[in-house]
Amino acid sequence: MKPTRFGPSLYGTNRFGMASSSPFHVAVIGTGIVGASAAHFLAAAGVRVTLLDASGPAAGATGASDGAVSVASKRPGPMMELARHARAFYVRSEQDGLFRGLFHRRSTFLVARTAVEADLVAQHGGDLAAAGERVIEVDRATLLNRIPGLGASVCAALEIPDDGHALGYEITQRLLARSTVRIRRNAPVSEIVMQAGRASGVVTRNEFLPADAVLVAAGIGSAPLLGLGEILIPRKGQMAVTDRATARGPAIDGHLMAASYLAAKRGIVRDNSHIGLVIDPLMTGQFLIGGSREDHRSDHTTDATTIAAILREALDLYPPLAGRRVLRSFAGVRTASRDGLPIVGLHPHRMGVVIATGFEGDGICLGPFMGASAARLVLGERPEVDLSALSPQRFARIEAHA
Amino acid sequence: MREAPILVVGGGPAGVSAAATLAEAGAPVLLIEQRDQLGGAVHRQPAADSESHVWRPARHRHSWAGLTARLQAATDRIEIRTQSVFLGVDGERRFLFDDRQGGVVFTRRPRAAIIAVGAVETIRPFPGWELPGVMTAGGAQVLLKETGHPLEGPILVAGSGPLLLALSAQLAKAGNPPVAVLERGRPWNAPKALARLALSWAPMSEAAAYAAALALNRVPYRCGTTVTQAEPDGEGLKISIRIGETQALLRVRHLLIHDGIEPNRTGVPLPEPDADVPVLLAGDGREALGADAAILDGHRAAMQVLARFGRADKAAASDEPGLQRARNFQADLARVLRSEPIVPAPETLICRCEGRSYADLAALAEDASAREIRLMGRFGLGACQGRFCGPMIAELRGQPLPAATSPRWPLRPVSVAALARLTTDETE
Amino acid sequence: MTGHFFWNGEPVAFQPGETIAAALLRAGIVDLGQPSNAPGGRVFCGIGACQGCVVAVADAAPIEACLTPAQDGLQLGSLPAIGTWHA
Repeated sequence: MKPTRFGPSLYGTNRFGMASSSPFHVAVIGTGIVGASAAHFLAAAGVRVTLLDASGPAAGATGASDGAVSVASKRPGPMMELARHARAFYVRSEQDGLFRGLFHRRSTFLVARTAVEADLVAQHGGDLAAAGERVIEVDRATLLNRIPGLGASVCAALEIPDDGHALGYEITQRLLARSTVRIRRNAPVSEIVMQAGRASGVVTRNEFLPADAVLVAAGIGSAPLLGLGEILIPRKGQMAVTDRATARGPAIDGHLMAASYLAAKRGIVRDNSHIGLVIDPLMTGQFLIGGSREDHRSDHTTDATTIAAILREALDLYPPLAGRRVLRSFAGVRTASRDGLPIVGLHPHRMGVVIATGFEGDGICLGPFMGASAARLVLGERPEVDLSALSPQRFARIEAHA
Repeated sequence: MREAPILVVGGGPAGVSAAATLAEAGAPVLLIEQRDQLGGAVHRQPAADSESHVWRPARHRHSWAGLTARLQAATDRIEIRTQSVFLGVDGERRFLFDDRQGGVVFTRRPRAAIIAVGAVETIRPFPGWELPGVMTAGGAQVLLKETGHPLEGPILVAGSGPLLLALSAQLAKAGNPPVAVLERGRPWNAPKALARLALSWAPMSEAAAYAAALALNRVPYRCGTTVTQAEPDGEGLKISIRIGETQALLRVRHLLIHDGIEPNRTGVPLPEPDADVPVLLAGDGREALGADAAILDGHRAAMQVLARFGRADKAAASDEPGLQRARNFQADLARVLRSEPIVPAPETLICRCEGRSYADLAALAEDASAREIRLMGRFGLGACQGRFCGPMIAELRGQPLPAATSPRWPLRPVSVAALARLTTDETE
Repeated sequence: MTGHFFWNGEPVAFQPGETIAAALLRAGIVDLGQPSNAPGGRVFCGIGACQGCVVAVADAAPIEACLTPAQDGLQLGSLPAIGTWHA
């Protein structure tokens, strides 16, 4: 293998720059969907990987997410483009066996309840179509055929038939099960150790773990390790899970996404009390209903007034929810970046450090593909798709001033 | 402004004892009960206009009468909300309740809270425990107390513990003696503990009365016997049992099982006696010591709260000897009835709500955390929220569950519509 | 008040103040599930903890039979649903 700026030779170098006989060793920080994917593909490339997590697999946002693998919900521009690649990655992985049984096609319905919302939905539909996505206009009568019981206030909808569904913790579990990665649970990383400008390892619980490269995929836990200033913003989302409406299989024929969710994703609304409504029919026949978007909140508590507000919205959109009970409420903490785009790429100053975080509420959709792309970056290879829009370089000047 | 009440959750002996004690000291009380009448499990009252009354020991009847009289005397200081289910405490420290009659969730911010929600029964699972016709002994007992009528058809009672004896005697007196009572333990294997138990007058005289009822009705009581399987059999069940080395088969309509009780702690707020809003547990919901101890424990908790607010000189130490006696009794009972746990057959259901078996549990990594057992194993994600399978899993994996599972809300499933109609306390 | 509620369409009599569970058992109805739906429902713990006796209610959320007083005219059935519910 041709040596690159920090890429591997067949044998790694130890701390003194001498070739050692052990293979290239990568420390991946974070066993969420991104870290698990990166670790999986690094191991598949013959690299030795140690995965570290402050808690355990899917303990963070990955384990507290809804199941949308959705292009429909993305902001126009690079996000929509990347989501199409990421969703295709799921489709391929389902077919070739890696995600067999875990990924299912499911239409997204973008739903409007007022004239203003209808305009927004139409605009978003135009952006999706321009990106090459199949978008079907659905009138109310057809919609009622597909989703019986839909609320009286629903006036317009678009169907995005190529979207899908997968549960974050199941995907994470599968990626880990199908690899030879060593996982260190309850191993928070306090520091990435640099030597002569390049990563030499990480410190966890006062123990130094040598590594030839480090991938930071730790969601909101990434910030202290990056040294790039305040570039990550926690965004708490509260959700509720109901009992089953059917014995098995999704209770409705698509993922319902209200215009309010689009308004938040497109940046039109930035208000901690705003509900971005999604109704996700799980494979078990239960519903997952979300959710709030509370910037700068990183706790995992839920409160009755917010959950009640979410449920009121949900009942208006889909009244048959009145026949359901809430079994649990929970909160996940998304990691948003200061400018709204994920952060994926080589660290601007620290050789041997790759970053893959800031996926906000799009982590389930983008995670596996981004993890695989990050693996390539660690190996000194070009990722499949141009990720320059996500490069951490855009935050470079902060540290230069520090 | 109205003084915020002290919340008591649970209208059984511990809760009523706590509520009465608080009210007698002049504190305003909000008493929450999920059923339409107070009483809890042990003092389950007959349904409103029911005429048949099931036989109970005089001691129990007097005990309950005393508690309700105290409640009655302090009635102007106690607000009782029945048919209201406690849903837990949310992230903004609101205490949440599901008003089943009104179809709405309401909230309060109490001055303090005493949570006395009692115990849940534990069972040792076997293939078929999930079948219709299989019920817990406690479940059958509350039905009996409510309706005055026993279940119909042949009944087998099996498991371990004094409840088997009590229930069987009550069934016999109500006109349907069980075909047999099967106790898993072998009491004579722990003679010292047995001797100590024999010295406890009240429980022993109660046990003697039950034993007499069984003898009168010729109900066999067999020790060292266990149920290994239940299968459907027409309208009833075919039960496989093991007595020592022998196997046998019984055909019955109902199988009533019971292997002890555990405090009902799943998702319940953790005790915080020194917090701004003190939270205490009381009764079987704190420690499974039985109905008599529950009265003392409710009193103890109430006195602790009153002392915290300077309304009593000191938290009463007078309840402790009684509680310790109950503790010693329970410990001796456990010694006397102890039996080796057996590994369930792979197809045995563990999480009934989600259909997860022992084979599914055994397939998980040995070091899998409670969270992984839940999310990856899909145990405890169903409607009972792990209330039933939690203790079973802890026992099977040989590790005690953490003292309390993480507090969360809703503690119990709640109607989407009722929660959407959330009404917050007007005094907020 | 006495009366009848309906279980999967069939009338079931109840005594004043008794729970749905008690009335069903009195009528000999032990299996609360549908044949296609295993494991079936039944009264088990009697105190609302195990959720084994949860039944569907027309135009409302499911309830625990062992906790809920019977009411005249209530339409009840096996989970998960007793027919589609829409506007």
